Amino acid sequence: MDLIQNLWFGFGVAVTPMNLLLCLIGALVGTLIGVLPGIGPLATIAMLLPITFGLPPVGALIMLAGIYYGAQYGGSTTSILINIPGESSSVVTALDGHQMAKQGRAGPALAIAAIGSFIAGCFSTVLVAALGVPLTALALKFGPAEYFSLMVLGLVFAVVLAKGSILKAIAMVMLGLLLSCVGSDIETGQSRMAFDIPELADGIGFVTVAMGVFGYAEIMRNLEQEESREIVEAKITGLMPTWKDFKDSAGAIGRGTILGSILGILPGGGAVIASFAAYTFEKKISKNPERFGRGAIEGVAAPESANNAAAQTSFIPLLTLGIPPNAVMALMVGAMTIHGIVPGPQVMTKQPELFWGLICSMWIGNLMLVVINLPLVGVWVSLLRVPYRLLFPAILIFCAIGVYSINNAPADAIMVAVFGFVGYFLVKTEFEPAPMLLGFVLGPLMEENLRRAMLIARGDPTTFLTRPISGGLLAIAAILILLALLPMIRGKRDEVFVESET
Amino acid sequence: MSEGTGGAAQAPDSRRLIRSPRDFWGGLALVAVAVFAIWASSDLPGMRGFAFGPGTAPRMFAYCLMALGFGVMLTGFLTDGPPLEDFTFSGTFGGAVLVVALIPIYFFAAQIGKMVPGVSHDVVLAAAGTIVVVVLAFLLTHLAPRGPLFITAATIIFAIAVRPLGLVIASYVSLVISANATKEVHWIETLIWCAVLTTFCAVLFPYGLNLPLQLWPRF
Repeated sequence: MDLIQNLWFGFGVAVTPMNLLLCLIGALVGTLIGVLPGIGPLATIAMLLPITFGLPPVGALIMLAGIYYGAQYGGSTTSILINIPGESSSVVTALDGHQMAKQGRAGPALAIAAIGSFIAGCFSTVLVAALGVPLTALALKFGPAEYFSLMVLGLVFAVVLAKGSILKAIAMVMLGLLLSCVGSDIETGQSRMAFDIPELADGIGFVTVAMGVFGYAEIMRNLEQEESREIVEAKITGLMPTWKDFKDSAGAIGRGTILGSILGILPGGGAVIASFAAYTFEKKISKNPERFGRGAIEGVAAPESANNAAAQTSFIPLLTLGIPPNAVMALMVGAMTIHGIVPGPQVMTKQPELFWGLICSMWIGNLMLVVINLPLVGVWVSLLRVPYRLLFPAILIFCAIGVYSINNAPADAIMVAVFGFVGYFLVKTEFEPAPMLLGFVLGPLMEENLRRAMLIARGDPTTFLTRPISGGLLAIAAILILLALLPMIRGKRDEVFVESET
Repeated sequence: MSEGTGGAAQAPDSRRLIRSPRDFWGGLALVAVAVFAIWASSDLPGMRGFAFGPGTAPRMFAYCLMALGFGVMLTGFLTDGPPLEDFTFSGTFGGAVLVVALIPIYFFAAQIGKMVPGVSHDVVLAAAGTIVVVVLAFLLTHLAPRGPLFITAATIIFAIAVRPLGLVIASYVSLVISANATKEVHWIETLIWCAVLTTFCAVLFPYGLNLPLQLWPRF
């Protein structure tokens, strides 16, 4: 029973007082910021990344992971209590959750969201542990050609599962790849597109892009919208769901968990698409779908379980293959690199305490969220009364100080602002910035593997097709693109996202 | 460049040349980026035999981006789409103007630093830059939305002031400027709140997190 042995080892790492404390702080800070509308988990992690600089790598990643699922959790609280989702993966939770709150059932809605998330968290923790070893073994057999094809497949998944036009998503990936070329060439060290600007010689910082495109652009857009918040004023009485609530939501939690786990592993939307898909699925199979949107508890249970499951299983490709499946995981790559860890299959063999400790801390963190946060709902509600005009300067200065402190480079802060209005323009013209970030992170890796594979094959590009694993991966990628372009499937894909707007 | 200020008034009209302006302008911007990248990487050596040179990958990505950009532009001609959102261009360029305005100030400060002994150029840059950026941001409020303008202005001010003037002054000034990003500025509330935030940052980052940040001016 290697699995149990490994998990036992992981718990040994995760329950040291220091790591427990970091996990708790991460989960609490994540919830705190997740609750605030207008700052998603991405901006949160980017903003709080500098906080973890002084920590040992294991502790730092445990805390960052805590921030991530804490933010997922906090987002649902906001969705339920005011009709604004705290972050994008809680958009669908708002549909039924807020209706429940209006009917005076905010307590049960919050509780089911927490319990569903916890059950999903338990399941996906085991899944991460179980899939970790075989996937790592597979990844170690990969050569450069296979790695390159795998990354192509990952990006194709990201494109297909992204919201909006596929063409635009591919263009965004390409823009990310191009941006990643700025700086010095990996092999010759020659400066590329840096115009002798010393700040660009090392390339564009990863956190800089993420903070600008997600954090700053978000603030700029939020400021254009009128502030309207409808907090449910009624006192939240009776947190405990009734027996009937449990019975109604049990199936939804199970289905949401499984759907979320699968979608989380796939590169692309991660938690966001998982919650949309789970809600749509639940509505489809329900005997009386007209209840959805009017306070059906399944409509809270399914997406919340799904987004939490997906949040955790999205660590699988990152930890085993070294490939971030979504933008948040891309940010984790940045965090790992700053701490001197190269993500990939070697993490599990060389730093088992990091791998297993992180996995086990996720389970502990989920437990903490349930135990601590339900009693704290009152605190979160009062936080929601803070107006945005007080909030955004705080976010801004945290970002500015944070990005400055990474390299002590003032120019990095200005770059964030530049990427801020770049992101603003992208959102205004309906380009999704997430695929760009993914392309940006995978860029150097892709280029390196492409060059190596070409060198090994003596300049013969057919090597990608003739090597069986590589060829297979590329074939899957091609089929995916074709499928996504078929009108019938396209309609279905749009339908999943349209759900939130109706 | 025409601004799609009409909002709902300009309903998609299949007789117009550009039927989906968001696609058209977005695609055009990507083509522009790609052309710029092709020019910027033109001096880099390409393939050497069957080995990639430093310039191969950037050019490959740039040409792909150009093709995709044209593709997106083409959909702007062929399919109907919603009109441009308000401030698409003014918001983007409003921020960009402030960053570009910094470049001459940077060189000006370097000159002053060389000519006047005892005055370090980064103090000049911080002082002159702050004044110019703030004045410019307020002047531009008639043309561009406040959000991008003052968020950019505040960040620039933080960046140029944090080294010479220290974290406390840089944060406070930048926070007060950023508060102008909304129309309703409650001045007394802003001044107090910014002081609270500055204190918090001055304690958290250097002491709580042990980051090497200078708190006060180096005089």
